[in-house]
Amino acid sequence: MNSIVLDQVSVEVVVDGAAGSKVLLTGISLTLTEQRVGVIGANGSGKSTLLRLLNGLVEPSSGRVTIKGKDTLRDVRSVRREVGFVFTDPLSQLVMPTGREDVELSLRRSIRNSHERRRIAESTLERFGLLPLADQSIYELSGGERQLLALATVLAVEPSVLVLDEPSTLLDLRNRELLRRTVAGLEQQVVMSTHDLELVQDMDRVLVVDNGRIVFDGAPGAAVAHYRQLSATSLPPLPPAAPAVQEAREPLGAHPGDYQ
Amino acid sequence: MSGSNFLLVNYVPGTSPIHRAPLWLKFLGVFASGMASFLIVDWAVSAGVLALMCALFLVSGAGVRRLFRAVRPVLPVLLVIGLFQWWQLGAPTAGRIVLNILVCIVAASLLTATTPIQRLLDGVVSAARPFQRFGADPERFALTIAIMLRSIPYIAGAYSDVRDSARARSLERNPRARILPVFITTVAFARQTGDALAARGLGEADD
Repeated sequence: MNSIVLDQVSVEVVVDGAAGSKVLLTGISLTLTEQRVGVIGANGSGKSTLLRLLNGLVEPSSGRVTIKGKDTLRDVRSVRREVGFVFTDPLSQLVMPTGREDVELSLRRSIRNSHERRRIAESTLERFGLLPLADQSIYELSGGERQLLALATVLAVEPSVLVLDEPSTLLDLRNRELLRRTVAGLEQQVVMSTHDLELVQDMDRVLVVDNGRIVFDGAPGAAVAHYRQLSATSLPPLPPAAPAVQEAREPLGAHPGDYQ
Repeated sequence: MSGSNFLLVNYVPGTSPIHRAPLWLKFLGVFASGMASFLIVDWAVSAGVLALMCALFLVSGAGVRRLFRAVRPVLPVLLVIGLFQWWQLGAPTAGRIVLNILVCIVAASLLTATTPIQRLLDGVVSAARPFQRFGADPERFALTIAIMLRSIPYIAGAYSDVRDSARARSLERNPRARILPVFITTVAFARQTGDALAARGLGEADD
């Protein structure tokens, strides 16, 4: 059973020059057993911190995070073998000059034989349709190809959980669709944060994060509605338009027939 | 990020004698080129060695364009060094120093152009293995080399992007507008790379 458990987790960081600490997450208790879990929320709401807890990249200030019973603090190496993490910007994730070399780098930890590493790297790249691009510089790949490559480098070591932190943010419509289909076909449990409210519809369960708390937890449709409402109510009032702008607008609005 | 314009010479698949040469021999060649910069005292000999290295580069099939791309980023620096040395020590010494640096760059580029990085890393791991008894981790040695190879073009690309941004704001003469963002980008890149490596479990002590 894939199970991610967060028990009364809080994350606080000390900010230089500020009195006291900044609370990033507070009182999070969750058990995630669904195959597809979405996380939505405004920028700075705590989505990325929540996701980073799952891989041990962020340590809880209080409470406990376990992945399949393994504590992310005590068994961090073991947790990282279970949990693959894909970042928003694949360029910050890809270490080697080409895709083939980067997938092989992922495999160095587990496979000592270089021929075996190469064989598995090629089969992984082939699975994602990236084999023809295997020896191309990562800089010469499109944004979508890079993101798929980042995904391939993580999946090469066969984690049981895949965490994706806003993977579609830098992608165009076509590449976003490609990513969506790829993620849909994965057998791993997926936890994904995103601003893409269409992508969220594929999820089994969606968490809405606001100001370091889970403010909604449920089905995608209801979660998106809650998030929209939350965003609308948190908008500041618009400042009045400058007089020149108002003057420029008035003739168009008041006398549309003048221009016919 | 325009890092692709600053890539060190990537591996170029091929079957040339240099491709097939054992890794230790290539390492030895790079080491000898480095030593030559101390030992060669005549600019004409330096020019001859550089011509030989360029010839080997072309024999490998990596091509003139890649050769030029390997040396282009350092040409402004070499120009400054050359002029300074000319002023201080005269033309023959300045020529020898610049040519010897070029020999090292072409030799290193020849190594990376004819050796797949994974083989290079395997070589580093093998070479570092004797130091394991002193607590060294050979895989970390290899990872350090890999990150270095990756970081140089990234930082060069960041500098290029920042220079373009400064130009767009007519701040190209302001050193702070050109240097400070590169530092910030570099630190952010280092943190992101650290996070990415940690997330992938690379470089951990049990590797």
